[in-house]
Amino acid sequence: MPELDLSDDDILDAMQRIPGYLDITTSDFRELYQLAHAHALERHFRDVRAGRLMRVGIEPLRPGLRMDEAARSLARQGLKSLPVVDDQDRVVGVLTETDFLRRLNADTFLALLLRLLEDAASFGHRCHETAVGAVMSAPAVTVPVGAGFGDIVAAFARHEGRSMPVVDAEGRLRGLLLRKDFLGACGGGLPG
Amino acid sequence: MSALREYLRKMRGTTKGSPPRVSNSEILWSWVGGFLGIAAIAGVGHLFFTGTDLTLMIGSFGASAVLVYGAVRSPLAQPRNLVGGHVLSALVGVTAWKLFGGDPWLAQALAVSTAIALMHATKTLHPPGGATALIAVVGSDQIHQLGYLYVLVPATLGPLVLLVVGLLVNNLAPSRRYPEVWF
Repeated sequence: MPELDLSDDDILDAMQRIPGYLDITTSDFRELYQLAHAHALERHFRDVRAGRLMRVGIEPLRPGLRMDEAARSLARQGLKSLPVVDDQDRVVGVLTETDFLRRLNADTFLALLLRLLEDAASFGHRCHETAVGAVMSAPAVTVPVGAGFGDIVAAFARHEGRSMPVVDAEGRLRGLLLRKDFLGACGGGLPG
Repeated sequence: MSALREYLRKMRGTTKGSPPRVSNSEILWSWVGGFLGIAAIAGVGHLFFTGTDLTLMIGSFGASAVLVYGAVRSPLAQPRNLVGGHVLSALVGVTAWKLFGGDPWLAQALAVSTAIALMHATKTLHPPGGATALIAVVGSDQIHQLGYLYVLVPATLGPLVLLVVGLLVNNLAPSRRYPEVWF
């Protein structure tokens, strides 16, 4: 969680708005503020834990799976991305819609539509012959089950996806944390 | 070497500029409070203690007035600190004089240092208390002859007068309230 950086001028301005002599230095105030801020965040977001918010029971993908089967799995589960796991259930990557687009040489969904109009036949072929492992984003950005607010925000900031695999200490898949679930849980805790 | 540099670096200070100057109306209220607070102690002393061995005015009350009327919000100026700081420090000061009066430097140093420690421990830190402890040692023969009576007069009664004036005068000012916390 980035700290709000209070300058001496910020604090002196606030002090001038309060009549009377305030018996505190700007640096003491800043230190107090930052500690209190961290404490308040901890209180607000105590219940925001990856393990509590993740969706369980999702069916992950295998690296050897064909892309067209992977697409069906994504559609069936109503998700924009799925973790890819090895035989020990360890997360080795994430397959997202963006990975599909990249495989089909399109940057955006609209670009894909346009190309589809031009050259329908080659698309099915590209998906049939390609394995998930060759296209997926790897290594995956994951969060541990115990990750709190700050860890989760930092992890989401490190990649473009809308969800993240939640893993145990051995890197095995435990669930999927969706950005919207995370934001929904934070909404109740955010001050103001 | 780096420890020494760090040690010296601390002496540079961390903050640019002191807290802002207060408004003119604040200055006026501080002046009024200080005037009435010290006048009240002088008045009570004149009424009740003229012709006795007791004295109600000691220098440390000037310092208390700075806090109670000039830094109203300060934790150091709250009633617990104002009264508790003087009473405990006076106890320490008289005791130091009685035990170590033969070695004035030792009695003085012990009185002030122990008063600070005791005020810290009891959450009654009030800087003028250090002066009250010191006066018990370096004061006149009249002060010394009071013995532990010094704790009651002036060290309890004086702060109580300042407190009453603080309650009456500080709360007249629209921008002020006193105390922040009683105990």
